Amino acid sequence: MSLLDPILDLFRGKAVTIPPMDGALKPNTALDDGEVVAAALAPDNLAVLRGVPIYSSHREIRQLGYDHAVVGTCPADVSAIAVAEDGTLAVGLEDGSLKIGDRMVEGFNGITALAFQGNNLYVTNGSDHFRPSQWVSDLMHRNASGSVWEVDVKGGQRRKLAGGLAYANGVVVDAANNRLIVSESWRHRLSAVPLAGGNATEVLGRLPAYPGRITSAPRGYLLALFAPLNRLVEFVLQEPQYRADMMREIDSRFWIAPTLSPPHSFLEPLQNGGVRSMGVHKPWSPSRSYGLVATLDNALQPMTSYHSRANGRFHGVTSALAVDGAILATSKGGNHIISVQAGEGAS
Amino acid sequence: MMQPVIELRKMTKAYRGVPAVKDVDFTLMKGEVHALLGENGAGKSTLTKIMAGVVEATSGEILHNGQKVAFANPHEALQNGIAMVFQETSLVPSMTVAQNIYLGEERFLNRLRGIYIAAQQFLQSLNFSVDPTASVSALGAAKRQMVEIARAVHHKADVIIFDEPTATLTPEEKRHFFALMKRLKASGVSIVFITHALEEALAHADRISILRDGELIETGPAADFDRNMVVRAMVGRALTGEIYNRRREASDLRKRGRQILSVRDVSMGNMVRNNSFSIFEGQITGVFGLVGSGRTETFKIVSGIYKRDFLRGGEIEFDGRPVRYNVPVHAVRDGIVYVTEDRKLEGFFETMSIAENFYSGPLAADLTRSSVISFAEMREISAEWSRRLGVKAINDNARVVELSGGNQQKVVIGKGLAQRPKLVIFDEPTRGVDVGAIAEIHRFINQLADEGLAVVVISSYLPEVMNLSDRILVCRQGRVVEEISPVEATEEKIMFAAVH
Repeated sequence: MSLLDPILDLFRGKAVTIPPMDGALKPNTALDDGEVVAAALAPDNLAVLRGVPIYSSHREIRQLGYDHAVVGTCPADVSAIAVAEDGTLAVGLEDGSLKIGDRMVEGFNGITALAFQGNNLYVTNGSDHFRPSQWVSDLMHRNASGSVWEVDVKGGQRRKLAGGLAYANGVVVDAANNRLIVSESWRHRLSAVPLAGGNATEVLGRLPAYPGRITSAPRGYLLALFAPLNRLVEFVLQEPQYRADMMREIDSRFWIAPTLSPPHSFLEPLQNGGVRSMGVHKPWSPSRSYGLVATLDNALQPMTSYHSRANGRFHGVTSALAVDGAILATSKGGNHIISVQAGEGAS
Repeated sequence: MMQPVIELRKMTKAYRGVPAVKDVDFTLMKGEVHALLGENGAGKSTLTKIMAGVVEATSGEILHNGQKVAFANPHEALQNGIAMVFQETSLVPSMTVAQNIYLGEERFLNRLRGIYIAAQQFLQSLNFSVDPTASVSALGAAKRQMVEIARAVHHKADVIIFDEPTATLTPEEKRHFFALMKRLKASGVSIVFITHALEEALAHADRISILRDGELIETGPAADFDRNMVVRAMVGRALTGEIYNRRREASDLRKRGRQILSVRDVSMGNMVRNNSFSIFEGQITGVFGLVGSGRTETFKIVSGIYKRDFLRGGEIEFDGRPVRYNVPVHAVRDGIVYVTEDRKLEGFFETMSIAENFYSGPLAADLTRSSVISFAEMREISAEWSRRLGVKAINDNARVVELSGGNQQKVVIGKGLAQRPKLVIFDEPTRGVDVGAIAEIHRFINQLADEGLAVVVISSYLPEVMNLSDRILVCRQGRVVEEISPVEATEEKIMFAAVH
């Protein structure tokens, strides 16, 4: 029967299925129970500069400390940050420009993540068609125009390592295996790209949420997943005409699409999946936003996870960073930076 | 002052000496909606069946409108104005709606057209949009229930008992049902309804009674209850017996192994709805859910007994391969064994010997050494599994029907395990089994997980789920809604997830 299924799917429609969140990704409330270390507008892009954690908030880059000192202000919203071992700061901006120290590198459309390795900076260009803040449009157009680039820090030359990625949204260097690990958000997977360049191959697939930035951690990696897969959204993604009508006629805030923050308007489509009973919002109900950070081992298999469930506050986690035994996470949708002790409350 | 329509005094019903209902006093007032709550096996159905004359009480008395009565059968109860609407309706599927409503009132010569017109008028008076000429077999659950209710009202029942009326209804149908209940109440009908959905009881009942282990624990106005009180009263049994006293620490739990089964958005009619979960090797996954939560159905789909929806029925991956079994034998050959909850009907060949039953397992899985029946191999297999499971019988030639419940269950388990499975699904493994055998079966299930097999235990008994499992999945309305670690699990927490 299973052999016939692909043929039958042509007539009856392919099953829309979402991988369950269980095993290492078993839901918990670790993010909601975590310590709030800062309230900030749309915090994103955690990194460590001269021993101090930094983050971006729209155009500003700030230190994570008691005074949230401004490290720098950019001409456009910051879309990616990386810090080299020698303290060089690389910043990608919403308009596609990349600044490495004092040098400007042009030619990108939407820089979503950066990672240093020696004299090279690795850059993920999310989409050739949309800016990073327009990621929902890129998803709704079902684009796969993302790419990974190598930029020579000293010379400023750039080289394309891989293209055709379905929204490259995170990158980390796996030096031991001479490869880059890249998040492909719209394919719900992590892919490996050889440092010398070549095709991207799947290393962790069937994720139940859209993967975003990935960083190194003491025993492997930290992966931020910024929105959950949702049956309704997946269904809409299979209906081109409906999507076209929706994008043409409806304000993008009210599209049936993933989002970074819980609902604020009654006009928003079925955020709660209709599962609110006697005033209680079911934590398991299907939602358009979610908070999730997963720790992966060196083989990129999930080990533990930290969640803010459908009824939680800290949704839209776009970056995570391991610092002194704790995990910092930016809830871009919840406008907070949270700290959880590694392993505490995790699945 | 409201008058009681029905009073049960010191009502007791015992099956083979085991009381299902013990000394229960219950009063139903005129025109009230009375919700009856309790865990599976708490005695709710038995109590209502006594009222409706379906079962005979062992002791106690029933007063109907102040008069002592004893109903010999449901027909007698109906003549006295007490009707029961069963979860599985008692309609004749091959007859039309009208014929079912007037069943038992046929004259010597009947004019179908006349019956249809009368039924049409009657159904319209109840505001039911059901075609009286439609065959009952073609109706959905809600409409069948409407016909059943119409039949009860037609017999001028002043007491209607609903057993799990909303378990199979869609939200829309539920709304219709509760509107109808309101209308019946307004016309002076008294209603008893059994439900597992607490919000329904709290929102629609005037009074609530809670049964536990056959005893009435609490009764009072619905306004005096909240969800937490109800859940506590439902499960607040003292955990006695050493089987269920084990305290679980994080270090006691087995680490999950490889993912062996992945169920993604599996659907089957109204019973299983977009159910998703994974099962891992080397762990016992406990599955809890109330009747109608779709837990058994889901695992019957996994093991090829039921088929998932053809259109948008989801995906099942077993051992890294997508599967869709048409018949159980394909699942058995792939290494999935389902140990049934109804052993008498589905579990064994009762007139065959223990040895033959054990041998039927590998025979079905094509695991026997030769293609013809080998009595030597049969004896060998039987001896091994009798020893491993500690089956107590005079010899292997004893017929299974002659064994005790516990030993019968061991034969069912042995028959399944002789098929060398990768995944074993136990559905209510200790239902109707004596305490001694429960401990042995539990030990054996633990041993299987220790050996690295993936084990699923579906159980309605919370202490069993909490004590056996390395992870607990809670089902509600056809899907897994919560995963709880046994370390943090409490009966209240699990029950809350299952009912709310």
